[in-house]
Amino acid sequence: MKAIGLELYKLRHKRLLLMVTLFLFVEIAWAFMAASMSISRNPNNAEWEMLIALLSSMNGLFLPILTAICVSRICDMEHKGNTWKLLLTFSVKRSTLYAAKYISASIIMLVACLLQALSIIAFGIINGFKQPVPLILLIRFLIGMVLTNMVITALQQWVSMAVKNQAFALSLGMIGGFIGLAADLFPAGVRRIFVWSCYTGLSPVTQSYADEKIQFIVRNTGSLLPGMVALAVAGIAVYLAGSVHVSRQEV
Amino acid sequence: MLRRCISAEWMKLRHSRIWMILMILPIISVLIGSANFYMNQGVLKKEWYSLWSQVGLFYGEFFLPILIAICCAYMWRLEHNNKNWNMIMTAPVPATGIFLAKLTVVGVLLLFVQLFFLALYIIGGKLAGIASDLPAELAGWVFRGWMAALTIGTMQLALSMRIRSFAAPIGIGLCAVFIGLGMYVTHLELFFPHSLLTTGMGVLSQTSLSTGESVLFAIMNLLYIVVISTVTIHRMRKSDIVA
Repeated sequence: MKAIGLELYKLRHKRLLLMVTLFLFVEIAWAFMAASMSISRNPNNAEWEMLIALLSSMNGLFLPILTAICVSRICDMEHKGNTWKLLLTFSVKRSTLYAAKYISASIIMLVACLLQALSIIAFGIINGFKQPVPLILLIRFLIGMVLTNMVITALQQWVSMAVKNQAFALSLGMIGGFIGLAADLFPAGVRRIFVWSCYTGLSPVTQSYADEKIQFIVRNTGSLLPGMVALAVAGIAVYLAGSVHVSRQEV
Repeated sequence: MLRRCISAEWMKLRHSRIWMILMILPIISVLIGSANFYMNQGVLKKEWYSLWSQVGLFYGEFFLPILIAICCAYMWRLEHNNKNWNMIMTAPVPATGIFLAKLTVVGVLLLFVQLFFLALYIIGGKLAGIASDLPAELAGWVFRGWMAALTIGTMQLALSMRIRSFAAPIGIGLCAVFIGLGMYVTHLELFFPHSLLTTGMGVLSQTSLSTGESVLFAIMNLLYIVVISTVTIHRMRKSDIVA
């Protein structure tokens, strides 16, 4: 707990949360502009499912890059300041430091996810959506997004800490964003391999085109559960592998 | 003097493996774009033009600007480490030389990326079975794309010089991508570096630019490069550095 507090304390002048919020604002503004245009063309599109599906697909592009930037800043400050040796002279295990950094990055990304959910509610209310706020659907959207984010955070942290040159970590984020954006074009078998495709893969709402019209289909929880469990297992494996590898590296 | 600065910048890139980062994006773009084109040939009937729309859309619109940002942040990475700012600012070379050398190296690297992308596009098209001649606009798309990439590179170099963090300028670049897309949609595409890239590479519309538009395009790029470089070099000369 103390280590997490110290990590967040180190970030106090870095304006990291502000940066994440601003990036998120750009994404949300873009998504809501598209939603407004869709509603003005066809008022029947004014439904929560459309908003969730739209943001899920945009998250595939945005969140991998945002996560890469956020994690890279948290890890790079130690590389840049040459503070690894200093940190390791304290009686703190390397795995504790690794966990503290992971949890602080996850907290920041969690705030980003919550902001997204709140902005969906605000947009729906302002535009006078007929249906009540679908809390269950939003919670399922949040769970899928947070879970995917946590796995990607684990992967990014491994790369950001193991490789001093942050260009590689950010390139991984960029490739992740590319795969996340193009995930829907892949066959289902290939899609499962890539963690970045889970933003749309674990979204409770999916889009389908029938008779040149977009339809939003709500998936049931049972169909998403195996994917969530597999993702959580993959996340734990990546985190442990990263923690063990970084702990054994020479500083 | 500039030649020596450029040579020093090349030496700094030795063993950096940056070529791996530069090559991976065109490979993925062309792989995904060509596969999508191949599977949807019933809808995508304009052969090379359709293939360009598939491989160029994500590459030119979203990921090339991020690649440029990573490349530019990498160029200043060494200066931000180990108090190297003190060393480089006391070296007997003008600030102009330092900045222009970095810009030249970024320009060469981006030219390599564009040509590599072009080669992969042609290979992808041939493998997908396109038999017709290459589009006449192709050289223009690649060259104008490179010009706009250089403009974005100048902007990113200025940001990465000012901001010590490696990742923050890349994040700003990501936001600029969306601003550029907005400018393009509102027909102000010639007034922002990122929308210049969209226009120049023909990623959203493959219609070729008229002579007047091409001249305006080149002038805007040049204007951006000169203004941003001048301000940045002036800043290097006048402001104190924090090593």
